[in-house]
This record gives sequence, C-alpha cells and structure tokens, in this order.
Amino acid sequence: MNYGPLLFLAAFFALAGSWFGFVLTPQAQIGQLQPTNMLGAPTLYPQARPGLARQGLEVYRANGCADCHTQQVRQSATVCDVLLSAAGTNLPAVLSALLRVRPDLSEPQARQCLSALPQPVLQGLKPAEADAKVKVLNGTGAKASVSIVPVGPDIARGWGKRRNVARDFIFDYPVALGSQRIGPDLANISVRQPDAGWHLRHLYAPRLEVRGSAMPPYRFLFDKRKIERSPSPDAMVLPRGLGPPPGYEIVPKPQAVALVAYLLSLRADAPLFEAPLTVAPGAGATGATNAPTAPEVPAATNTPAASGATSTNAAPTNAPAK
Amino acid sequence: MNSAGSQSPPVPPEAAEPSAGNLPAPVWLMVLVFVMLYGAMVFFDQYGGWFDAQVYMPYASLAEVQACQPRGGGPSLERGRAVYENICGLCHNTDGKGRPAQAPPFAGSDWVLGSPERMIRIPLSGLSGPVQVESTEWNLSMPAMGAALPDDDLAAVLTYIRQSWGNKASAITPEQVKAVRAQIGARSQPWTAEQLKAVP
Amino acid sequence: MNPTASSEPAAVGPGGRDAATLEIDASCRLPLLVLLVSAAAWLVITSGFALISSIKFHSPDFLAGPAWLTYGRAHPAAASAFLYGFCLQSGLGVSLCLLARLGRTGLGQGWLVTMGAMFWNLGVTVGVLGILAGDRTGFEALDMPGYATPMVFLGWALIGIRGAMTFHERREQRLYVSQWFLFAALFWFPWIYSTAQLLLVAFPVRGVMQSVIAWWYADNLQVVWLWLAGLGAVFYLVPRLARRELQSRNLALSAFWIILLFGSWGGIPNSAPVPAWMPALSTVGTVLTTVALLAVGLSVWQTAGRGGAAGARASLPLRFVLFGALAFLVAGFMRVLSSILPVSKVTDLTWFGPAMDQLNAYGFFAMVSFGAAYWILPQLMGLEFPWAGLARAHFWLASLGIVLLAAPLAIAGVLEGLKLRNPDNAFMDVVRATLPCLRVSTMGDLLMALGHVAFLANLAGLAARFYRVRAASVFSALTLDAHKPAGARP
Repeated sequence: MNYGPLLFLAAFFALAGSWFGFVLTPQAQIGQLQPTNMLGAPTLYPQARPGLARQGLEVYRANGCADCHTQQVRQSATVCDVLLSAAGTNLPAVLSALLRVRPDLSEPQARQCLSALPQPVLQGLKPAEADAKVKVLNGTGAKASVSIVPVGPDIARGWGKRRNVARDFIFDYPVALGSQRIGPDLANISVRQPDAGWHLRHLYAPRLEVRGSAMPPYRFLFDKRKIERSPSPDAMVLPRGLGPPPGYEIVPKPQAVALVAYLLSLRADAPLFEAPLTVAPGAGATGATNAPTAPEVPAATNTPAASGATSTNAAPTNAPAK
Repeated sequence: MNSAGSQSPPVPPEAAEPSAGNLPAPVWLMVLVFVMLYGAMVFFDQYGGWFDAQVYMPYASLAEVQACQPRGGGPSLERGRAVYENICGLCHNTDGKGRPAQAPPFAGSDWVLGSPERMIRIPLSGLSGPVQVESTEWNLSMPAMGAALPDDDLAAVLTYIRQSWGNKASAITPEQVKAVRAQIGARSQPWTAEQLKAVP
Repeated sequence: MNPTASSEPAAVGPGGRDAATLEIDASCRLPLLVLLVSAAAWLVITSGFALISSIKFHSPDFLAGPAWLTYGRAHPAAASAFLYGFCLQSGLGVSLCLLARLGRTGLGQGWLVTMGAMFWNLGVTVGVLGILAGDRTGFEALDMPGYATPMVFLGWALIGIRGAMTFHERREQRLYVSQWFLFAALFWFPWIYSTAQLLLVAFPVRGVMQSVIAWWYADNLQVVWLWLAGLGAVFYLVPRLARRELQSRNLALSAFWIILLFGSWGGIPNSAPVPAWMPALSTVGTVLTTVALLAVGLSVWQTAGRGGAAGARASLPLRFVLFGALAFLVAGFMRVLSSILPVSKVTDLTWFGPAMDQLNAYGFFAMVSFGAAYWILPQLMGLEFPWAGLARAHFWLASLGIVLLAAPLAIAGVLEGLKLRNPDNAFMDVVRATLPCLRVSTMGDLLMALGHVAFLANLAGLAARFYRVRAASVFSALTLDAHKPAGARP
C-alpha cells in the first residue's frame, strides 16, 4: 500500500492543528487588543510610547538587551487585605469588632491599632472572607475596605506590583519579553531607577553603579570627543580612571539617549480587569501610564554613586496598601 | 526487505538497508497515553481558564478574576487622604489647621461644612481676595489646585476634608464634581468670596 | 571500511554494495559534500561566537569594545549560525541521502541541490552579518534579518523540492520508518518558517502575539524539526550499524505520531504574559511527548541494547548516534519536567532552558549528524577519512564538551531559580552563585570548538583527497590517451 499520500495528509493535519491552535486562535483572541481604562480611573492604558522611547526600543533590539533581561513579572497568587482607614464615631463598637476579626490581638494592641489609622488589619485573605470581615467592621460605622494584592517572588522582590499581561505590550515592536534573567527584570525599571543619569552611567560602566554586575560595558554608545570652547552639558561625569583624558569629554550618542528614554518609559503596574490590584494613590497619578507624559531628555546628573555602589534592587517592599 | 518479527532477528549483510521488526508496541505504552490524556484534561480544567482571553495564571477562571476586582467604585477616605497629603496638605497642613499667612484652616470651617457646590468650586478655579474663615480675615490667592485632578480624586479629597479633624459633613460624589465642572466651563478666573456666597 | 579508491561502479562493489547502491551514492556525492562541508564550516564559526559569548558571562569586559561583538549580537549570531548554518543544512543533506537510499532511487538533478546549498549559505551569511550589524529581528530563533529570508527560502525550496521528488520517485514502495520522519521534516520547516516570517517580520502581528508566534516557531524548529530529522537518522543508523533489525516499527511510529500531534504544542512558557490556556496547552503537549521519549528509548535499547556497547566500541559513527540517542532522552525528560507547573516556577527564565535546548540541539542532533557524516561520506566517496585519530578525538571532545556545557548550566539554572524564589536573596548574590557553573560551561564550549575544528579538518581533508584522486585519474587518462597510438582506447 502506498502510504506516501496518507503520510503526507496525516502529517499535514497534525501540523495544521498546531497552527490553528497556537497561531490562529490566539491571534483571534489577543491579536486586536486595544487600550482600555485603568480600573477606577478614566485614564487609558497603555499609552503609546513617545517617539524617543520608540527609537530606544530599536536600540534595545539591535543590541540584544532582551537576551539577558526579561520584561515579564510573574505572580503566584492574588490575596486580599482588609484596610481600616477610619474608626468612625462609635469607638467601643469598632474595638469589639476589631477584636472579633483579630482574635489574636489584645485590647491594648487593638486600641493602639485604632489610633494609628489607616492600617491593614488583616492580610492574605480570600475575597469572600475579606468581604465578610469588612462588613463586620463597616457595620460599626468604621471605614474598612478590601485591598487586592498580587503576591509572588517577583513582586516581593520589587520588580513589579502585578504580573504582566498581553495588554502591556500592544504598542511594542518587537515585544522584548526576554527568556533569561542574567540581569534583573525590567518591566517596571522606570519606577526603581527613575534617574536618567544613573542609566547612562550604568550603560557606560555597569560595575560603577552595580558592584559585581555581569553586564558588559556599552562604550560604543558613547562618543569621546575633544572639548571645544566649553564642556557640553551632556558630558558624563565619571570618576578618575574611567574618565576620558584631559581635554576630552564623553558624551552619550543619540542611541544611548533614546535607549535611556525607552528604559524610563517602562512601567506596567496599572490596574486592569485581567490583572486587578488596589492602587494606593501615592504621589502623582492614580495609576501609571505606560510612558511618561512628557518625553524627558536625560540630562546627565553629575553625581556618580559612591564607590561602594548599591545593588540594583531595593529591599523587598511591603504590601502596596499603605 | 521486511522480515517477520522474531526474537533474534537474522543479521542482514552490511550492505542491506535496515529493516524494521513488526513487534507490537508494548501495551503499557498505550495505557500510558490514555492515562496522560486524562491527566491532561484534569490539568487543563483546573489551570486552563477555559480559553478565556481575560484569565491569566494564577486565576483559574473568569469568576475568580471577577471576585478579585477592587471593591467600591468611587472615592474612599484613604484615597482622599493620600491626595490631600500630596496636594492640599502642603499649604493647609496635614492636621487641617492651616498655616498662618499661607492657608486658612479646614477644621470647623463653614466653607468646608457648608454647601458642597461652593466647596467644589474653590479647588476647581482657585480663590483670591479677602475671605473670612471663622474669626480670621484672610487675603491671599489660592491657585486652582484641583483643576487637573480627575473627578474621583477631587471628590475623594473634598470628602476627606469634610470628614476629618472633627468635621462631620456629607460626602461629595464624583457626579457632583462632574456637574460643577460642566457648569463653570472653562473658567480661569479665581473666585472671590462674594461670588461664592452667591452660589446656593 | 572502503579501501578502494576507484570511482568506477563494479558489478558487486566493495562492502557488498551492488551497482544500484553505488549509483545512488554517486548521485548524492557532490550535494552531500557541499552541504556537509558548509555545515561543518558554519559549526566552526558558531563555536567562535559561542565561545566569545560564554566568556563574557564571567568576564564581561572581554572584547567589550566593538559593537558587533557585544553579547547581544554575538550570541544570536552563534545561535543562527548553528541552527540555520549547521543543523538545517546537515539535516537536509543527511535526509536527502537517506531518502534516496531507502527509496532505492538516485538523487536526480543533484545540481539543483548544490545550487540550493549555495543560496542557503549565501542567505545565512547575509543573515549572520546582518545580526552583527545590529539588524537582528529580536525574535530568538528567527534573528536573521528579513533581507536574508528570500535566499534562505529559495535554498530550501530547491533542496526540499528535490527531496520530495526523490521520495515521490522511489522504487521501493514500502516505507521504512525513517522515511516518515524525514519526509515530514521536509515540509514542516517551510510551513513554520513562512508563517513566522510573514507574521513577525513582513506583516507583524500586534503585541504579545509576536512572542506567541516566536515561541511556536522556536519550539517547532528546535524541538519538533530537530527531532524529526534526527530520529529519522537514528532509526536508520542504529539498526544499520548494529546490524540488527529495528525493534520495532510500531514503537517508532508511535513516537512519530506523538511528536507530530503533541510535540508541536509546546513552546509557550508558564511565565508568559498570555491568557492561561496557552501555557496550559503547551504543558499538556510537552508532558505527552514523554510517550514518544519512552518509545524511542525502548526502540533504540531493544535494537542496539545487548550488542550496543560492543558495537559502539568498534564503530565510531554508532558511538556518536548512541550518545545522541541518550542525550535525546535526557533533554526530552528535562523539557517535560520543566514544563510542569511546580517545577517551572523554579526553572523558568533561568539557565535551565538554554541547558536543555543545547543538550537537545547539540547533544542529540549534532552528534547524530556527526555520526551520519562519519558513516555516509566514506561510502559516498569510496575513501576513508584522512585522520582517523582526529575523528576519535572529535568524539571525545564533543561528548565531553556538551556534558561540560549542559550539566553546569542546568545546575546553575536550578540554583538560580531556587534562590530567586526567596526575595531576601539579593539579585547580585544569585548572579555570583552561578558564576562557577558558567566558568565550567565555558570549558565545555572550548572543547566543543576544538572538536569542530577537527571535524572540519577531516571533512576538508576527505574532499581534498577525493578530488586529488579524481584529478589524478582524469589526468592519467588524458595523458595515457596522448601517449597511446591512435586507435587504441583504454
């Protein structure tokens, strides 16, 4: 029996199945995602990156930054915190309600808690449980609310407030998700390192800013040129030994400036339906846009870090609700 | 070229192309396939989110995503406090007592406890000129600090002011803020005390 | 194996091969030589870039000056040269030769294949140079810029269509197991390649769909295609070299169907920012390939098992192929393990991924290709390799090299993953902890590089020897003509 055509057909359908399931169906589902309102705010998310940042993405791609850095924050679970923001007028009732939801507290501890509001009184609950506790507290006239808190090792490390979802990347080409963490995750780097000067110095000499860093120096993104008349305001200020010889200055090329603008636009912690979280309204906007509203031309701030440079990541942050 | 399957197959000469025996595949392999398929279905049921485009790991279903949405649309005191401390408290002080020669107090002030319409207008367009707050006459100029705030945030901070430091007044809703914004349109002149008193 | 230097077919040739086989071999000779020598040359180029990239992990200032040598360009250059320059070319060459032999028909119009090989090499050269210039697309297995694609595709078209025609023109109608694998591989690649090029480079899709398609393509190329082409060769070489019947056809076909049906689902990691059903389906597909792994393992064990060790000691090609089969199993099980949710929480986005990818692509596919080359070429040329000692050294360098590359990286990956789960571990400490493993893996890269130089030297020496003999016999025939009196022909 001539199995040839049969073999061809069968293999064709197997491959077609995979193509249908992993190319066509996902395209139908997430191929046409549009920006949407952030939860609880009229702001659209994401916003297209400003032009300089988009050029920076080209530099990011050409130099293969995604080979060492990821842009995907992971999330293990979502838990609910109960936040008590105001004690209201009926203090004894609130106190007894608090002791009911927190049987581990003693009365003096509960009183102290009530005097230092707002405070999270319960953490790590399931949504239904949290709703029940909030109802108990609100029944006494206090103002309690449920905070939605994403948790996971990446989030605890400060790499983001929530996981990345498809909508975070709809304006990027190419999407630079990365596949390995030889360097830290960059999805929210503009929150951790908002200083353009830090980024420029880090690109020029990574071990200047991060001791023990495995990142290669990107000196070819900078120009060494003779100082004409007066030094350029963009010139890098570097410690002796790394700096240029006298009469010369190091100035970032447009690629370096664009790359830094791109890095400063990286932020993905806006609350969305598919990635809910309660945003503690901190300084500024109620939620982050995916790009700063005004493109910042990085001015080299002229204070290099102290010689005992700190590592890139701050100590793990606490739960976002403050 | 094919020979019947046997325990010790004859050794073909070096030059012959290879041939394949016909022994059936072991049964346990087939059983394993089915066991794994079953396991796969159970796994997908639990972790697959049933092909929903809005269900991402770690959520198991759309219902779970909906259960984890932030509660209570609308302003909260917590939000109002945060906005206050970032914007208003810089001049009016975090305890609402104001700062002499800089900003009048909020605690116990009629301007705060009175008409919401009046109160909402102040941060939207600013207030300048002589104004009496409690027993003190103030004559400064306040810029429109709330003009750039979204309705939710402005409602939250005004509610916070109306319900803190002993103040007991009604909350202000974002709808009210929106209505006032529509009424005053693109006004850029700060209010005066007289104009505000004319507002019901 | 074949001491004769004659290029004339005889009634019953050396090694018991008949005239038909010798004719088939002669038709495959030049195309295969071009494909394999080019592949070997690309392998040396790959090793150079891979070694440089590997050194940069623990000595970041190494060659950090020039832009074209930065890690983000050297690493994809090495990967593209390896996949497209070596793997696809040698896979195609071996596939064509095996299809010709199993179908008992010559590789007709071999000049088409040779031309295709030249286009292919041109395309890959342009592609690799483009990556070094900064034009990489940014998608991991598809980094060669778009302007290299037409040449690459044309090369494949010429070679692949010729291979499909050889299969179609076969005289032996009953199909041997290898033909299933190799024929499927012939059309798998153009489908996934054209999809990926269209949807990622020519008319890019939006947002994270790019990553979904890139993962789909990378998995289908680096896992499914390499498995299809490699197993096709394994199922031919193991029974042939061990001089036993393949046990059994049904096991091999089970493996074939499982790979086609479920192997092509893999690729989307659990950490991906895509809806949950995609990584879940990928996990399902990957776990189900366990059955294929078991089937292949059983088959190879039953075929070569008892006599395997003795056979391997005697036959260098068999040694390569059996090592490859073992690496196939280990890499396959690593992949299955790392796709399971609790394990992937540790191993995702760490060195574990590159470790198992390298073990699969190099430890399995490349080693099987080496074995196939060391076995087929002497038969096609009718000559032995010039330096047998170098070939043996190649085996030890390659096998030791891949073990020293993959094992430390896998360990580093698990270590890294476990440490990163605890937010109290500073990131720099985690990086420091992986350094010793990275240094060992550089040693592995070095050994592999030396092995590749030995391979290229041997291949080039064989080709030189063949053409020198050929030239000598042609010359002697011509001069003999000139000295003989007219009318007398040799």
